[in-house]
Amino acid sequence: MSANGGALAFSLRRLVKRFPGFTLGPIDLELQPGLVLGLVGPNGSGKTTMLHCLAGLLVPDEGGAEVFGAPNLVDDAAWRRNIGVVGEEHGFYMHWTAAENLQVVASFQPAFSHERARRMAERFALPLDRKVEELSHGNRAKLAIVAALAHAPRLLLLDEPTAGLDPVVRADVLDVLWELLEDGEHAIFYSTHVLSDIARLADELVFLSDGRVLQRSAKDDLVDAWRRISFRIETGGDMSLPAIVEHRQVRQEHQVTSRDHEATLAALRSLGAESIEVARLSIDEIAVEILRAKGVDRVAAR
Amino acid sequence: MILILSELSPEPLHAQITRQVRARILAHGLADDEPLPSIRGLAREQRVSVITVQRAYEDLERDGLIRSRPGKGFFVMAIPEQRKQLLAEERFAAVLGRLLAEGRADGLEPQRLREVFERVLRQEGARR
Repeated sequence: MSANGGALAFSLRRLVKRFPGFTLGPIDLELQPGLVLGLVGPNGSGKTTMLHCLAGLLVPDEGGAEVFGAPNLVDDAAWRRNIGVVGEEHGFYMHWTAAENLQVVASFQPAFSHERARRMAERFALPLDRKVEELSHGNRAKLAIVAALAHAPRLLLLDEPTAGLDPVVRADVLDVLWELLEDGEHAIFYSTHVLSDIARLADELVFLSDGRVLQRSAKDDLVDAWRRISFRIETGGDMSLPAIVEHRQVRQEHQVTSRDHEATLAALRSLGAESIEVARLSIDEIAVEILRAKGVDRVAAR
Repeated sequence: MILILSELSPEPLHAQITRQVRARILAHGLADDEPLPSIRGLAREQRVSVITVQRAYEDLERDGLIRSRPGKGFFVMAIPEQRKQLLAEERFAAVLGRLLAEGRADGLEPQRLREVFERVLRQEGARR
């Protein structure tokens, strides 16, 4: 149960999925309805595996998943009712029209609404009478969104939803997602390795590396706390600074990356550092630093 | 309510919302007890995350500029003109404090800072 008494959009409990040479987990993760959680990690970190376990496309080796309070069972229609999935591979029949492909999706999904699909397609200016092989990359992505949302699921699982799309199509897709969120009932969990355009949508980010969660943070907390700081200091001895993930030095000039600039700046002032300059980092830069540092203070500054 | 939010600003998104709503309440536009957009409504309209708007509203509530009525959303507080002026002054003093520290760091003495302040104030006045 969530804080407001309703069911969580999803929860993963001690979830483990093993492959030869790669293990995802154990993962504990949950999401409240009304929020957007971004799953950030390099290729091969386990993002798609995690989404597939949640979507019921893979059976976990240990632990389990729940969506809106119901435990997941592979191919369980009642449970799938609450989930919409957009994968990297759309899996459409290329020689069939978009409308025929939606028929196929509908045959697997009892709650599929043709009216809802038609309205979304209209809004996307998506020609449903065309064969999928004739559709542009952007229109195929839109078709995938229509197919995933036509049964009005409450949890959306998106695997690299905007990868390779031009900016206009990306904006169209994001608009639809934003509208879904307005009622506070829906939740979105999306994976990405590029944050920039979709980051504005995210409430929280979870960072994945080598199958493990490094950290989960409110996006605004990260943006508020992380800074790049340069300074001069006339000390040859040991200098130990708190909250530092990176440190460069040229003679008396230093540049550090701090994940808690207030702590770092307080320490710098007490050490008598001069010419202190502070710069904010973009969420992309912060993500890179977190994934590089693997959540651990890597450098004890000298 | 039209806000301008930019990812390129050195100011975080939630602080941009706080600042712009505050200016509307203190200086112009928003009347006492006027309802504010819902958190989700504003998030969608401005294309920002729900938590970002929530944080901005929490800051405004803490500053006594807005209040929430359970189940009904957020409303502008009825603030006496005197208190509005005081709040604006407090905020200006905080910003000025940071600027003065920068000036001092660049080696300007208090007397010089005062002269620069007076000069800029005159220029701004002439521009209006």
